[in-house]
Amino acid sequence: MKWAAWLVAMILGGLLAWTSWGLFPRPALPPWQEATAYWGARNAVAAIVLGARLYDTLFEVLVFAMAMVGVRLALRPLPKRRARPPVIESPLLERAADVLVPAIGVFGVYLAASGHLAPGGGFPAGAIVGTGLLLVALARGIRALAQEFPQPILSQLEYGSLAALLILGGGSLALGWRGGWLLTLANMLILIKVSTGAWTVLEHFAAHRGEV
Amino acid sequence: MITLVLSLLAFGLATFALRQRRLLWGVVGVGAHSLALAGVYLSLAAPDVALAEAAIGFGLVTFVLLLALRRAGRLVVAATPTYPLLYQQGERVAGLEWEILKRLAQRLHRDLEILWVPRQEIPRLLEAEEADLAAGGFLPAQSEALPLSRALVPTRLVEVRLGPGPLGAVAGGRAADFLPPGGRRFEDDEALLSALARGSVGGAVVDLLRLRDWHFKGKIPEVQLSYFPDQLSFHFAVAPGEEETILAALEELLDELERTGELEELMRRYLR
Repeated sequence: MKWAAWLVAMILGGLLAWTSWGLFPRPALPPWQEATAYWGARNAVAAIVLGARLYDTLFEVLVFAMAMVGVRLALRPLPKRRARPPVIESPLLERAADVLVPAIGVFGVYLAASGHLAPGGGFPAGAIVGTGLLLVALARGIRALAQEFPQPILSQLEYGSLAALLILGGGSLALGWRGGWLLTLANMLILIKVSTGAWTVLEHFAAHRGEV
Repeated sequence: MITLVLSLLAFGLATFALRQRRLLWGVVGVGAHSLALAGVYLSLAAPDVALAEAAIGFGLVTFVLLLALRRAGRLVVAATPTYPLLYQQGERVAGLEWEILKRLAQRLHRDLEILWVPRQEIPRLLEAEEADLAAGGFLPAQSEALPLSRALVPTRLVEVRLGPGPLGAVAGGRAADFLPPGGRRFEDDEALLSALARGSVGGAVVDLLRLRDWHFKGKIPEVQLSYFPDQLSFHFAVAPGEEETILAALEELLDELERTGELEELMRRYLR
């Protein structure tokens, strides 16, 4: 155990030294106003995340997708727990969910759609839509909600958005596609990817490790 | 300036969250901490990061924790009201077992919740994991294979005879095991007592503690008793699969209460 801790410390120290000696490539960026206008955005962060540093985003989405695949594969051999009766919640929560969930959904989509103009973007928007789904899950129970979102359709959405995102990224990198439409579309796809991913993880843990 | 204030607030909220004994307050603290942190990012001119922090830290994480707390944060006790052990006094619950359960819930960082159910429902609730513990003068029947805590209060079963007719007992408990053929089973104490009052049963099999309560409340007159020979005692029962968590914590708590003399003090207060 001790030697493993030493090994990890050495590797981390080596990585730190390597990066601080400037051995990683550091591509230069043009001035940010210029870069923002060039990629067709008004929010500099969107231009960088989906334009100048598109590789970062694509690999981040891939890491996220791999995490989802990992959850699916790791939980599959576990037996499905039998359903436990849902915890009775107060009617207040159910009403609140009915009122709030449409607003949360609209706000999430708005954040994704306006991510290239103002702060926002696909990742926080996906997290917000995922939170809305969680609110419904709290009010109605996870199993009841899972029956409304069949797993195959969710998988298709998730992998379909990933494939479309890769196509968009490829077009941007190889064919020089750029502009507001590309950023909006990419943010929307990230929204779908992140929210379905968050829901899938929750649903799998609930199904295999016991209803919560 | 505002950054500094918000940072201090975030630090304070994190400390608050860590210091809570009740997990729900801890979750609330974590959520508020994330919100303050989002404010720090915003004041540092990073609105995108602030938005992501608010959406993930305040929204998603808080909800996941709340969802987890919903079942894991409760200690559900299935019980039948039994006078000096666990009973309702107006709005609140009191009794010897209540004092122990309160300390156990605090030790496990859970919110205590009592489900008042008929005695025969208890094993099913524990096996379905709908309740974690059984209490309220729990005398295990011979057919029930539930993990039990140590003997809490010794008692014996008695046969009370008020008139001619079959004997009655509350269904599901140990008393029903001792019912002779032809005996009748009732859902709870109330049903049994009203049957006794009506004369549709001539007597009852009951434990001494309940009999004492009935007698003090003037529900039955002083009568001749015949004791069953078995020495019994009241226990707590836990749900199968919780032996190493809840039962171990309960035994540890009882050990400690015994060592400090608190258990004796409680016994004196409630069973005098």
